[in-house]
Amino acid sequence: MIAAFDLVLLLFVLICAIAAISVKDLLSAVIILGAYSFFMCLLWAEMGAVDVAFTEASVSAGIGTVLFIAAVSKTKRRSKD
Amino acid sequence: MRVLALLTVILTGILLFFGTQDMPNWADPNSPASIHVSPRYIEKTLEETATPNVVTSVLADYRSYDTLGETTVIFTAGVACMLILRIRRRRRE
Amino acid sequence: MFDFILSKYNYWIYIILMMIGFYAMIGKKNLVKKIIGINIFQTAIILFFVSTAAKRGGTLPIVEHAHGHGIHHIHAASYVNPLPHVLMLTAIVVMVSTLGVALAIVIAIYRRYNTLEEDEILEQRK
Repeated sequence: MIAAFDLVLLLFVLICAIAAISVKDLLSAVIILGAYSFFMCLLWAEMGAVDVAFTEASVSAGIGTVLFIAAVSKTKRRSKD
Repeated sequence: MRVLALLTVILTGILLFFGTQDMPNWADPNSPASIHVSPRYIEKTLEETATPNVVTSVLADYRSYDTLGETTVIFTAGVACMLILRIRRRRRE
Repeated sequence: MFDFILSKYNYWIYIILMMIGFYAMIGKKNLVKKIIGINIFQTAIILFFVSTAAKRGGTLPIVEHAHGHGIHHIHAASYVNPLPHVLMLTAIVVMVSTLGVALAIVIAIYRRYNTLEEDEILEQRK
């Protein structure tokens, strides 16, 4: 547990979260959400939760992003806010 | 409407911020979560289940009914997805 | 004072993450943005729960020298608390299955109303 590494990762996670909800293009928002999930996975690996980290990397960042992209491709890509 | 949402969010954040004053310090080895139940699992897992990975032995041995219920949840979600998407298609035709 | 900030700053950042997700849930009009907010909210709470398991000086919850050395005494204080990890593994899988159902409902709404904005859907329902 290194405090500087932890702080930098938390900062990246915050930036990704703010970018994911403020981007107007839905496909970009979904890809940024995938990056957010991978940073979260690094954060958990750093805390010692390796099982949670690889479950997050495979299930949430993999299957979740695929489901989001499928839904966006079936509907509209632009959003108003 | 957006101002009301922002106000609610900031109010919730302030309440939770006051709640963190009673939490144990981060990564404290003597926090209540670390000294009550979990040492029993860590010390006994090797002689009771012969699995070195404690997370796996708790997930698939001590709490295997929980994992069985989890697979039921995933199955229900898959069936629900299939039914929702199929009904719409039939009604449009 | 500096010690207090150093031992609590993690919780404050988790609260800020949760506030971002909560604002996206109740303040944004687009339905996919609301689902992204739900995802961020759940991940922040899972992060908080996993962080209660961390121990200073603790290693991964995998018993060292397990096989071939016989049963020896295991010090619980040198391993990270494994129980929150187990509960959060279940929570992540349930999170993704609810995400699938929510996106299926969004696709069904788009087929019927031909839009994803909340106010336009409410306008059409009048």
